[in-house]
Amino acid sequence: MTDLLTRDEYKALATKLTLPVNAFIDGSYRPAQSGKTFSSVNPATGETLADIAACGSEDVDFAVIKAREAFEDGRWSKLPPGDRKDVLIRFAKLITRNRRELAVMESLDSGKTIFDCETVDVPETIHCLKWHAEAIDKIYDQVSPASDDHIAMIVREPVGVVGLVLPWNFPLLMLAWKIGPALAAGCSVIVKPAEETSLTALRLAELAMEAGIPRGVFNVVPGTGPEVGEPLGRHMDVDMVSFTGSTETGRRFLHYAADSNLKEVVLEMGGKNPSVVLRDAENLDRVAAHVVNGAFWNMGENCSASSRLIVEEEIKDALMERILAHAREWTLGDPLDPEHRVGALVSSAHFQKVCSYLETDADVLMGGKSHDGAYVEPTVLEVDASSALAREEIFGPVLSVLTVRGFDEAIAMANATDYGLAASIFTSNTKKALRGARAIRAGTVTVNCFGEGDITTPFGGYKQSGFGGRDNSLSAHDQYTQLKTIWVDLSDDEDEAVG
Amino acid sequence: MTPRLTFEGIYTPAVTPYDTDGNVVWDALEKVIDHLVASGVHGVISGGSTGENYTQTVEERLELALFTKDKLAGRLPLIVGTGTMRTPDSIALAEGAAKMDAEAILVATPPYAVPTERENALNVLTIDRAADLPVMLYNYPGRMGVNMGEEFLDRVGRSRNVCAIKESSGDINRVHLLARDYPHIQMSCGMDDQALEFFAWGARSWVCAGSNFLPEEHVALYKACAVEGDFTKGRKIMSAMMPLMRVLEQGGKFIQCVKHGVEMSGLYAGPPRPPLKALNKDDKRQLEQVVRVLKSTIADITAGA
Repeated sequence: MTDLLTRDEYKALATKLTLPVNAFIDGSYRPAQSGKTFSSVNPATGETLADIAACGSEDVDFAVIKAREAFEDGRWSKLPPGDRKDVLIRFAKLITRNRRELAVMESLDSGKTIFDCETVDVPETIHCLKWHAEAIDKIYDQVSPASDDHIAMIVREPVGVVGLVLPWNFPLLMLAWKIGPALAAGCSVIVKPAEETSLTALRLAELAMEAGIPRGVFNVVPGTGPEVGEPLGRHMDVDMVSFTGSTETGRRFLHYAADSNLKEVVLEMGGKNPSVVLRDAENLDRVAAHVVNGAFWNMGENCSASSRLIVEEEIKDALMERILAHAREWTLGDPLDPEHRVGALVSSAHFQKVCSYLETDADVLMGGKSHDGAYVEPTVLEVDASSALAREEIFGPVLSVLTVRGFDEAIAMANATDYGLAASIFTSNTKKALRGARAIRAGTVTVNCFGEGDITTPFGGYKQSGFGGRDNSLSAHDQYTQLKTIWVDLSDDEDEAVG
Repeated sequence: MTPRLTFEGIYTPAVTPYDTDGNVVWDALEKVIDHLVASGVHGVISGGSTGENYTQTVEERLELALFTKDKLAGRLPLIVGTGTMRTPDSIALAEGAAKMDAEAILVATPPYAVPTERENALNVLTIDRAADLPVMLYNYPGRMGVNMGEEFLDRVGRSRNVCAIKESSGDINRVHLLARDYPHIQMSCGMDDQALEFFAWGARSWVCAGSNFLPEEHVALYKACAVEGDFTKGRKIMSAMMPLMRVLEQGGKFIQCVKHGVEMSGLYAGPPRPPLKALNKDDKRQLEQVVRVLKSTIADITAGA
């Protein structure tokens, strides 16, 4: 990007921001009914940014009532799709107009680098909303090949009131992944941002209102998991919950649904994603660049981070040399400095958790140190297949290296995990690439690159990485709609009709 | 950040005792304050319209508020009224309230200007910024010309400080609107003859001028409805109070009645400042009669008769 500002300019912008502090329910900002607040901290400095409304079940109840009213009276759900499209495109334009403010707010709140916020998070958020907006009036229903005496229509209807529970690693982008298709489908949404990162969701709600999304349709209820997430999950009048976050919390949402109204649940959860590099991989420099990017992008706070490198022993040394060279270019420090690629971890609690993984007997090939209670150096470790470093999701800039002898062992190692979100395979052999891609049990397998596909491709996981649906692509729309069959009798013969 | 204030109970907008030349009688004000504390109300408002704020300069109002704060000495919370015609005056009052560590400010629509809802909301947010204290809004379209409508209420949500509204419109639909659509804003009864309805819709506080001279009776209604949830008893108390409400609201001599009521309870309140005049003999007699009946009836009800 050529239009990045300097560090000082970003600092100046940061001091001028007006941060939203209240919940956004029924078209306006409101404090929590209890009046409670919690502090939102800039993880890079430890300073309190804002005291945010700490909502509780009474606020959730109120948001659900208002979302339900909006859904039932059709102020949004029954608008012609083209009209919803116009509003959502206007919404995307408003985000574009405020993109710099949002990028700085996101960086301050999450510790993400301004470089990523400006070049990935905000533009991708806009792109995602536009894409789903544009899709709304291009999705057709179907007529089934029923008999001559019948006509059967298969139509999709918005699922209703939807709880969207967000993670803290991509506060804006994950919001867009969910509200894009949910609002496009005509649902009313209640967003619970992660406690650590509520600011941009609250600001976006205001922009949505300005764009013309009617009151009650887009609500943001900040607060903790027990105070907001659980009441949302257990609410008898919430039709669906879409959750992105840890596998442990995802499991809870299934319990909540089972204990309450059997609401639909879509889960997008953790990963311990392998990069399989076979000995015939071409251009190890490029491979190294992809592996490093996959492992350290967004401080490794990414469910699809390629945190396990599985490499054939013949090329291991050559690859590691290049990986260490590339990783050194990932400079770490003040997130508001656009030169930095690695910022602060999201919170001191998470920092401690990541640091605990660094106290290990594994061979440290690079990094391994932490700074200022917020930063963890990009770290490369040689690990044992049975160690926690090879099995558990660390969610930090830590790449665990495993060595294998041959294709079959590599695939078996790639699959030796409870997760199944993403994987990469690097080889010049097309047959092996495709065989590997088929054999690895993960929602996305990339060949000769690290990636997640794009807005046009489904994103979600196998095994304990996912449940019930996919984000992105038209498949995301399916999550927020119910399938209905309308069966019409066309026959003249009354006897046949009832028979 | 400011703590959120929970308004529970009877909040009395204190009268301002004057001598016949219109000077504040400070001793008398101190006695009024002590009397309020002793009689069980839950908070005191300085600089409300019952205190005749519209006749006072900003300096006088700050002096009165500071005196009240001083004499309350932490025994009850103080809310400082900031309603004026000029925004800079309201800001000065808000800043003064913050400086004297008042517990909250009361923020009204500026009279006569007839602002739009957006203008009114931005005005409130400006005054709020000056104090950074909990805010009780004051909706009184009868005197200000405009309502604090939905656009207004939505916009003031930008501040966390806005935590209550004294609703004095008399429009029962406003009670429904506030209770149902703005549950985060504590609804405080500001329309005496609808107190029972306010409590039925969940109000937990009542800003009532009548509590200057009938504090126990106002507290009795609050307790019956808001604390005990006994609306049968509440209805009996309210019914006994209705004749007083009629005298206060329909006679057009609201402050004069309140001041005379204070004098009936043995304290000095003095005459109102011009343009108002003290009650004549007939009005006094009518008020005395109503108060006498009211007191004995409510005493019987609360005694369980």
